[in-house]
Amino acid sequence: MVLILLRRLGQAILVLFIVALISFLIFRYVGSPVDNLLSQEATVQQRADLEEALGLNDPVYEQYFRFVWNAVNFDFGNSYRGSLPVAELISSRLPATLELAFTSALFALLLGVITGIYTAIRRGGLLANLILTLSLIGVSLPTFLIGVLLIWVFAVELQWLPSFGRGEVVKLGWWSTGFLTLSGVKSLILPSITLGLYQLTLIMRLTRSEMLEVLRQDYVRFARALGLSQRSVYFKHALPNTMIPVTTIAGLQLGSIVAFAIITETVFQWPGVGLLFINAVYFVDIPVMSAYLLLVGVLFVFINLAVDLLYLAIDPRLRDSQLSGDS
Amino acid sequence: MKRFFASDFFYDFVRSPVALLSFLIVLFLVLSAVFASVIAPTNPFDAASLNLMNGFTPPMEPNPFTGDVFWMGTDDQGRDLFSAILYGLRISLFVGAMAVALAAVMGVLLGLIAGYMGGWLDNLIMRFADIQMTFPSILVAMLIFGVARGILPPELRDEMAITVLIVSIGLSEWVPFARTVRGSTMVEKEKEYIAAARLIGLNRWQIMMRHILPNVLNPVLVIATITLALAIIAEATLSFLGVGAPRTEPSLGTLIRVGQDFLFSGEWWILLFPACTLLALALSVNLFGDWLRDKLNPRLK
Amino acid sequence: MLQPLLEIKNICVEFKTRGGALKAVDDLSIDVQQGEILGLVGESGAGKSMMGAAILGLIDPPGRLSSGEIWFKGQRIDQNPEPFRGCEISMIFQDPLVSLNPLKKIGDQLVETILRHKRMSRAQAIDRACRGLIEVGIDPERLNAYPHTFSGGMRQRVVIALALASEPSLIIADEPTTALDVSVQAQILKLLKKLCDSRGTSIILITHDMGVISETTDRVGVLYAGRLAEIGITDHVLRSAKHPYTQGLVASTPKIDPDSFGRSLYQIPGSMPKLDAIPTGCAFHPRCTMRTNKCSQERPPMMKDTAACWLLEEME
Repeated sequence: MVLILLRRLGQAILVLFIVALISFLIFRYVGSPVDNLLSQEATVQQRADLEEALGLNDPVYEQYFRFVWNAVNFDFGNSYRGSLPVAELISSRLPATLELAFTSALFALLLGVITGIYTAIRRGGLLANLILTLSLIGVSLPTFLIGVLLIWVFAVELQWLPSFGRGEVVKLGWWSTGFLTLSGVKSLILPSITLGLYQLTLIMRLTRSEMLEVLRQDYVRFARALGLSQRSVYFKHALPNTMIPVTTIAGLQLGSIVAFAIITETVFQWPGVGLLFINAVYFVDIPVMSAYLLLVGVLFVFINLAVDLLYLAIDPRLRDSQLSGDS
Repeated sequence: MKRFFASDFFYDFVRSPVALLSFLIVLFLVLSAVFASVIAPTNPFDAASLNLMNGFTPPMEPNPFTGDVFWMGTDDQGRDLFSAILYGLRISLFVGAMAVALAAVMGVLLGLIAGYMGGWLDNLIMRFADIQMTFPSILVAMLIFGVARGILPPELRDEMAITVLIVSIGLSEWVPFARTVRGSTMVEKEKEYIAAARLIGLNRWQIMMRHILPNVLNPVLVIATITLALAIIAEATLSFLGVGAPRTEPSLGTLIRVGQDFLFSGEWWILLFPACTLLALALSVNLFGDWLRDKLNPRLK
Repeated sequence: MLQPLLEIKNICVEFKTRGGALKAVDDLSIDVQQGEILGLVGESGAGKSMMGAAILGLIDPPGRLSSGEIWFKGQRIDQNPEPFRGCEISMIFQDPLVSLNPLKKIGDQLVETILRHKRMSRAQAIDRACRGLIEVGIDPERLNAYPHTFSGGMRQRVVIALALASEPSLIIADEPTTALDVSVQAQILKLLKKLCDSRGTSIILITHDMGVISETTDRVGVLYAGRLAEIGITDHVLRSAKHPYTQGLVASTPKIDPDSFGRSLYQIPGSMPKLDAIPTGCAFHPRCTMRTNKCSQERPPMMKDTAACWLLEEME
């Protein structure tokens, strides 16, 4: 188990170095750090001095390791716009994105698993078929369109919920939370639904097909033959076996929720890192783009690692085969 | 052609209401886009033809100042929405189709090379594909878009926007093509006709292009259809976010972005009609692609 | 005569398909006495497993029990089999490798089953689970082990312990040894037989293996295309089968016997019909070497409570 963990960790670190390399190449060669620090009238001598001072004449690998070292110390340079440190920009906006991602993941997971189980158990039922048909449309709808339609109905026509921003936030140290105020919670509803809907349909369909598969297994028939109650068969025997693949996919989806937050944040003008990124793309703010890429890379690698660990924790078969060293 | 109409494939197609309907909708939309300049009452790109007095005319109602009637209404600048949608549809479809073409060519080539050559080249290509696949393709497209804008001088950024858009979406979707083609190439290359081709002295390139390629193309069509739906949605999303087609060459996504701004002031039609068009397009391409996959290659998932 | 433990009267199991209803079990009657081991033998697809599932009401849709009655200890159970499931009647499936929930410790599976059917504390249930494991020859220390740590034979022992946990009066064993190594098969059958003998539990043993039938069962029923072809005391049936199908089945079973060495085995010509193409009259007639005209026209009833064959009528 330790061995397998170390191997996974090694792979993860390798992927991180590659992502960092791409990020470095963007930072170093797409953006030109010098142009953005000097005015247009700067002399050739001034440029050369600055290049020397920034270490741009050092060997590339040295620059790369300096870049990685700085990133580890949360130094991503300054934004081209407003000259604020990128790390500060990101950390001030991270809570908004994480709270949004967390809420919509919870929404997608809970509702997805529940409807998935329901449609599997009541296979062919009227409500189950209705849910399935709706989910088919849900998959085809682009995320931003869902957001716009929700705004139209709930913010413009019904005026129940706000259409943009986070509402009032409460500061807890460097973290700002919208969970503690009414307006904050109300502001979360529409963006969370928008962001979670696609994952919801995905998790639902997966749960349904896995559950149907598990219900066909002999151990479920045996549990029935032993006279265990319907509820116990469904929830104690079938559900845990269903949840193994669902956990994997849902865990991996967590990463895409953070990435798709870019779209939702733009629709709802949600002040998170996604909005920061899309503005960076628009204004070609290279340091912000490269830092965002690194951030998302780290996040994805950690999620993959966490999913692997979770997998080991819930499946005894895997746990033992890893313990005994064969895999 | 006669054989096609007599085939099981055609029979199943005509018998499936979903396939037939979605195909007809796609066909209708494609034709409207191709003949946009003929069908559209006005040219929405021609700033001179716009009359600001016509701004915000609701659908089917005569404008109070000019008396003009637009059956889908107009936007803030008095542009006829119906014409704008036709031209927008054209851009959306063009970008989608070109991006898929790029992704397919790139994916098929890399997949062929990886599958046939094997070794470190295979490793390099497929590991890169793995890493790219960890990130959602829309994010990859945004990144490529941003990088491309960074490389281009500022004055060319709007002019080249459509090309950049095609390249970013194309580069973000090549992996499924490569993986499938690599898989079937590895199966094909073990077959005897390849050994025979090698014996008569054809070089690797000739074997790959003339012998393996025709035999691994079947699933590519299915992936292309499914990718087309993804590419259309990706284009609309990027344009909606403001990092795609510029306002001077609006795609459906751009039109929806513009429409959203007028939602609060009650000009709902500026949003609704482009949104419905996009929805119809994405949904029908998607449904047709699903049907095609189930029919031609149920193993692709 | 004593009231039988289980009486199956004229049951039919139907599958609805686009081409109409297919009968997997067709008008089948059989009974099981207290404490006896009844074998059910037949080729795959003959409806043996379907019968087992029908008794417990475990037929998966689109199949269903379309007619007939099932009586257990004087109560009709086909309408509402649930209270009897696992409690009075247990079932053992073919493949022990997939019969146990891979995510639950075997102790938990045992305790859950015991608590479901017996009123007792958890501690008592654990104690009982330990005794159950000892009975089937498994170290009770392994209560906390997961199924995948056991071999196939050991897992089938666990399955038997589970099936016996509620002290049922009847166990339906659906090919309990087919998936096991030959050397383990005999052990498992012996164990099952011993445990049931000591409790007076009846067994319905479903198998396609005539060797298993001859070694283990008291009586045997032969199934063909969803119908009962022959039934009787095992020894009698094996020694002097009345139905040509049974005769063929017995003749085609290999015997380890120096005399028969080198002689080729008998084969019944043809193969069992598919459910959607069951011949008229006697379902076996196209393969039967002794068929008459009547066989292809009229379905033979059970003659003298032994075999469904027109030959027996002529002998009268």
